[in-house]
Amino acid sequence: MTKSFAVTGFLKDYYIYLVLIVLVALLASANLDQFPLFERGNFLYKRNIINILRVSAPILVICGAFTLLMVSGYIDLSVGSAMSLSAVVYAMLALNGVPFLPAFALTVLVGVLLGAINGFLVVRMRITPVIATLITLSLYKGIALLLVEDGTSAIKSGGGLKMPGWFNSYGRSGALLDLPASVWVAIAVTLALIVIQKRGVLGKYAAATGGNPTAAKLSGIKTGRVVFGLYVLVGISAALAGIARSSFMSLGDPLSGDGMELTAILVVLLGGTAFSGGEGKVQRSFIGALIIMCLTIGMLTIVPAYTQTLVIGAALLLAAATNHLVSRKGGRK
Amino acid sequence: MTTLAVSPITARKHRRLSDQGFITVMVAVVAVLLFLLASVLVPNFFQLQNMINLVTNNWAVISLGVGVTFLLVSGNFDLSVGGNVALAGVLSVWLAQSTGGANTLSTGLGFPLPLALAGAMAGALAIGALNAFFVVRLGVPSIIVTLGTMMVARGLAQVITHGSQRNTNLPDGFGTLGNLTLFGTVKLPVVLMGMLLLVAVFIERRMLIGRVTYWVGANPVAATLSGIDRGRHVTRLYLFSAAIAGMVGILLASEFKSGFSNRGMLMEFDALVIALLGGVAIAGGFGSVIGMFFGAIILAVVTSAATGLVLSPDWQFILKAVAVFLAITAQTWALARRNR
Repeated sequence: MTKSFAVTGFLKDYYIYLVLIVLVALLASANLDQFPLFERGNFLYKRNIINILRVSAPILVICGAFTLLMVSGYIDLSVGSAMSLSAVVYAMLALNGVPFLPAFALTVLVGVLLGAINGFLVVRMRITPVIATLITLSLYKGIALLLVEDGTSAIKSGGGLKMPGWFNSYGRSGALLDLPASVWVAIAVTLALIVIQKRGVLGKYAAATGGNPTAAKLSGIKTGRVVFGLYVLVGISAALAGIARSSFMSLGDPLSGDGMELTAILVVLLGGTAFSGGEGKVQRSFIGALIIMCLTIGMLTIVPAYTQTLVIGAALLLAAATNHLVSRKGGRK
Repeated sequence: MTTLAVSPITARKHRRLSDQGFITVMVAVVAVLLFLLASVLVPNFFQLQNMINLVTNNWAVISLGVGVTFLLVSGNFDLSVGGNVALAGVLSVWLAQSTGGANTLSTGLGFPLPLALAGAMAGALAIGALNAFFVVRLGVPSIIVTLGTMMVARGLAQVITHGSQRNTNLPDGFGTLGNLTLFGTVKLPVVLMGMLLLVAVFIERRMLIGRVTYWVGANPVAATLSGIDRGRHVTRLYLFSAAIAGMVGILLASEFKSGFSNRGMLMEFDALVIALLGGVAIAGGFGSVIGMFFGAIILAVVTSAATGLVLSPDWQFILKAVAVFLAITAQTWALARRNR
């Protein structure tokens, strides 16, 4: 209507890109010669960019599906545990001589199953999403821990079994433009979800379900199926994240996904998705994930690691508060 | 004579157990049945000392459960209590440590003990105030806010302890509170937990502030329309929960004579689990402190029986998941049947 409205609307849509650009510019301009992680003293050094991207592959692959789920007004707190369990399963399969493709496919199937269990509890059993996924958080974590033998901390070479040579190439060695396959999969998944959200039916149904569930139901959308499908989608992306992480670390760590649910919520909120549902964009969450990863990795080189929890917590509060205020204002106008 | 013959019937008619009382009784019965089952299955389970241990070993989580239960009844989460336990403990140690230690982690601010404890409580209450500010003033969903403050509180504890712990250069009296025993063998923290439970039940049943908690949770709009200052009430509950977390943090730090930044890890999760097992509904307006207490007994019986059966400790995550799932479905089913 008015000019100021157009300006705030523009800012709301694009401020996240500005934040990323400013952050990267700051990190790049800082004199980092004394910090060993940045080789040649520059944040934008190629090896550093590649490293950040391959460490970020798990959150980059999760954030898209997680955004759609939150847009539909639901949440999945079990995503970290599902990622850990997938990482353990994938490593076990590889260690026991299953070749790359079958191991990959089976792990993704595990992700489908884990997501379907969440969907079943929420849609069929009608348990509140927070509680249902807290139950599965505990369940998946317990199974992942049980799969790893007592006395060892992770699935890795040893006891006559050896990790195959291909195991860490998916998450580490350059496949195209020196970036590993895990990063390309994350980019492909995100692009697919952007298209689905913009053009596909699922994206519109998700927004309708989150915006007004009753209206969505009355206009013939099978909201239960939409939500179930989105939980399965998050399960698949958690499995892909687990594969990326376990390949990057060359082992199946049952704790590797701990805290991923918090990171996912953080980047999605940072991207401006409303916690109450109905609004949000996949690409903005992707940028949000890049911001958080640049911030944490950039920070690691300047301040001690033990400040990270505090900074992430503060960022979560800030992101939640600002986007809540912004979306509330928009709603009132 | 006649009145005696008639009164039980009329009493039954007019004083049908409320849904909430029904669920509490159900939870208590399940707790007792599980205990008997465990006694049959697990060797040496049926012993007086073991029964006492089921309660005394869990004083911290049960104490935290009181604040968490009140908040859940009012329709709000508090996941910050575990982090707050770490923060309060670390603060009490840091403030009390004498100045001029050999290195950073053995050098504190050298406050006198009472002042150090007061400072630790102030830190815990500040986290509670932060919760209230974001939830009440800004209207951000409580689960997001308290996940954030959980990390902020633990993050502050990690910054103060450099990610590890402070346990040197402490004044002599620092370990007294947490290791004091009363009435022979009962530890002070356990006595405090008992007193807290009694006070909480009294507040919940008999005081206006306790009843208001239910109204706010059951129907926020109606509560506001009938003149209840909802924001003020929820603020009080967050401060109450934070005060309990502060107390637990100080007692634990005193018991171990150390401020450890990982202390209280997952306690917020356990406090939520025992409240859910005890029939507290996260939708608000339903649940009780007594139910939460029996929920804690159920969890304690299940986990200690699992340990007694020599299951690997990793089983506890699966057991908790199954217990919460069964509790929620059983309670929903029983209430639906009862009110058909």
